[in-house]
Amino acid sequence: MKIQILGAATTKFGELWNVSPRELAHEAIHKALTNANKQPKEIDALFVGNMLAGILGKQANLGSFFVEGLGVHVPAFHVEGACASGGLALHAAINSILAGQYKTVVVLGVEKMTDYPQDDITAGLMAAGSDEERNAGATFPGIYALMAQSYMQKYRVSEELLASVPVKNHYHGSFNKNAQFQSPLTIADVMKSTKIAEPLKLLDCSPVSDGAAAVVITREETKIKGRSVYISASEVGTDTLALHDRSSFTSLTSVVTAAKKAYAKAGIIPQDVDVAEIHDCFSIAEVIATEDLGFSQRGKGAKDIADGKRTLFQGKTITNPSGGLKACGHPVGATGIKQIVEIFDQLQGTADKRQVEGAKIGLTHNVGGSGAVAVIHILQI
Amino acid sequence: MVGIMSYGTYIPKYRIKLADIAHMWQKEPQEIVSGLRVEEKSVSAIDEDAVTMGIEAGKRALYMANLDPQKIESIYFGSESHPYAVKPSSSIVAAYLQMGNNYYAADLEFACKAATAGMQVTVGLLSGKQIKYGLVIGSDAAQGKPHDALEYTAASASCAYLLGNKQGKLIASLLAMSSFTSDTPDFWRRDTTKYPSHFGRFSGEPGYFTHVISEANKLLKENNLTPKDFAYCVFHMPNGKFPRVVAKKLGFTSEQLAPSLTVDKIGNPYSASSLIGLAAVLDIAKPHEKIFFVSYGSGAGSDGFIFETTPELIKKRKRAIPFAKQIENKIYLSYSSYLKHKHIL
Amino acid sequence: MLAGAVLWPLSISCKYNSMKTSPVKIWRRQKKVAALIGEIGTIVQWTLIRVPAKAFAQESPYPIIIVKLTNNKNMIGQLIDWKQEDLHIGKKVITVLRRSYTEDSESVIGYTIKFKPYETD
Repeated sequence: MKIQILGAATTKFGELWNVSPRELAHEAIHKALTNANKQPKEIDALFVGNMLAGILGKQANLGSFFVEGLGVHVPAFHVEGACASGGLALHAAINSILAGQYKTVVVLGVEKMTDYPQDDITAGLMAAGSDEERNAGATFPGIYALMAQSYMQKYRVSEELLASVPVKNHYHGSFNKNAQFQSPLTIADVMKSTKIAEPLKLLDCSPVSDGAAAVVITREETKIKGRSVYISASEVGTDTLALHDRSSFTSLTSVVTAAKKAYAKAGIIPQDVDVAEIHDCFSIAEVIATEDLGFSQRGKGAKDIADGKRTLFQGKTITNPSGGLKACGHPVGATGIKQIVEIFDQLQGTADKRQVEGAKIGLTHNVGGSGAVAVIHILQI
Repeated sequence: MVGIMSYGTYIPKYRIKLADIAHMWQKEPQEIVSGLRVEEKSVSAIDEDAVTMGIEAGKRALYMANLDPQKIESIYFGSESHPYAVKPSSSIVAAYLQMGNNYYAADLEFACKAATAGMQVTVGLLSGKQIKYGLVIGSDAAQGKPHDALEYTAASASCAYLLGNKQGKLIASLLAMSSFTSDTPDFWRRDTTKYPSHFGRFSGEPGYFTHVISEANKLLKENNLTPKDFAYCVFHMPNGKFPRVVAKKLGFTSEQLAPSLTVDKIGNPYSASSLIGLAAVLDIAKPHEKIFFVSYGSGAGSDGFIFETTPELIKKRKRAIPFAKQIENKIYLSYSSYLKHKHIL
Repeated sequence: MLAGAVLWPLSISCKYNSMKTSPVKIWRRQKKVAALIGEIGTIVQWTLIRVPAKAFAQESPYPIIIVKLTNNKNMIGQLIDWKQEDLHIGKKVITVLRRSYTEDSESVIGYTIKFKPYETD
């Protein structure tokens, strides 16, 4: 399939007290349009990925709400899949182009979280889980903690080894002017941070953030200035809502399924991926992801990260050059699109201090809930 | 013949030592403990209430009787701490015990004798052959006002009795029952108030002693029996002192009373108190033994019963968890944790 | 009568906003929940939640466990009446009914399945 990315941009991610959801959307969309050298009137539709506007802000009808940020009243759609809302919105947009319904589409991922109290945010995020999990008093850190327990017991991996994920991602984040956290972390910092849910600590967990990201995609084939970046695969996998209903607590079937389809579609194998943006909502999530995606052998994911195999300037198949969810921030609905923006920059050679030399093939991995849904995109030049 | 088919008791896992309560209020622990003759009391978990405890006891009674819950035709639930002011606890318990829909049900309140009153109602239905099996539950997560005298003894527990009228299935037959009631305001709680109030020593003579003794004497006289005819006696236990005093006054020996004194171990769980005392006796009684049982509820009244155990008791007891075994596993709370458990913090 | 018709929906909507539990949901699920009381299972994974969900604040820290029941189905739930030694894979537990949502004073009371360490006595 031939879907081309014409332009992409993000806002700064962080605690953006002064900025409203509308302003976030407007900024991301217009920066992306400028990057794409397109005018709003050339856009046929808007797809929006967002999870919490309805739950926390009591605002539904988000297609129409956010199309105001485009400034032109075109068909607009809200797509939701918890933290995978961004990736799913892109998938839906791609399908609309492949179906021949629209030609040039903007996909926006946006989330405003800091307007709400922490308790409400925690409860809102649990909407991504199941009733039974909510009734049990589970929180999202709690559910990923159960996975971490299983992984650590099965493969005899220590908490210190898991801590190499946030350490790597903060190192990467220090090169990203848009990242929420740009300061480095040590293993000791992670180990002494506040305990959240055994064995996960505060610095194992991605933060609460505001932010937006947008991409402009099209079916056109005209080469644009610089390198043309194409989306060669967009695949989705689903699994049970609840962790305890699955056969494994140390692997996400939704990811394995989607990745398999994506690699086949793009005609590549995992080792061909030069750079990937991984959904590290918690440190354990990135470890399991690198195994599910085939970058590391089962049980070796954490060690490979600790050994620098996924680190900028050292390894191959670099993961989370943007700083990931941990350092760049995780405005839930925006993350999936931010990942696309990062890989687009990497393949265009415009990733500034974070550039992976000679990157030709990139992958994004966006997950909803504890693995109920996963979206994999492969980008190539 | 009407009587008890099975029983079940449930004591929550948590305890607080009376000495720790005394320390909080800078009282002499030894004085309190020896005055009340209670060392520690049971405390409900933060997520337990009279209903959840009632379900536990109900399940155990059903297990002992080995009876399909759908066969139960009545449920009377007595408590001073019903979770709702309006909405029956009895129907909630019945639903979670899977009793179906064909049963008489009501909630009762008569301070600590709510459940024994329920027993008398059930006996009426059984004697009139309206039902074959009836469930009675006394359950309380009692609220003691901080710094009040009752704080030391107000405890949590539940007890369930399955009553029937099939002679061969009874573990104890009911030989006689009666009640002595008056309107005596010794202990009360107004509608929207959190804690009960009482009038100190007024609960003693005019309250507990007048009613228990009057009922006891009436029951003995009308049945031509004396204390010597009984193997055991059980009285409501607001503290460790009152049942001992009343037993002596009536002419019962300390040996007859001793097995029933569950208050020594868990304090006073209000509507469950006398019922648990009876259960502790049934845990150890032999067949063909008479048990003298008089409850007390403030406000005020006493319900009296004379039971006689049967050989079936020995067989059914194998499916019971004895009171003594149940209280082995316990977790002590600090005073501050106790306040959290009682939702005062 | 018209005034009443205007005021009535206003007062109802205010009350529904403050209610956290749906009585209809509780009622609809009751038979299923009742059938789950007294089931024995073993812990297949556990964690200790130290930063609680809002409704569970009073009980924090509390363990949540994934349990395999004797019918081979998995369940997730809170472990109550627990000690540190109970938190290990393979520990036998039994289902009990306990109260959920302890704060809100207006809603219907929700009862939910939780797990308790199972001592064979």
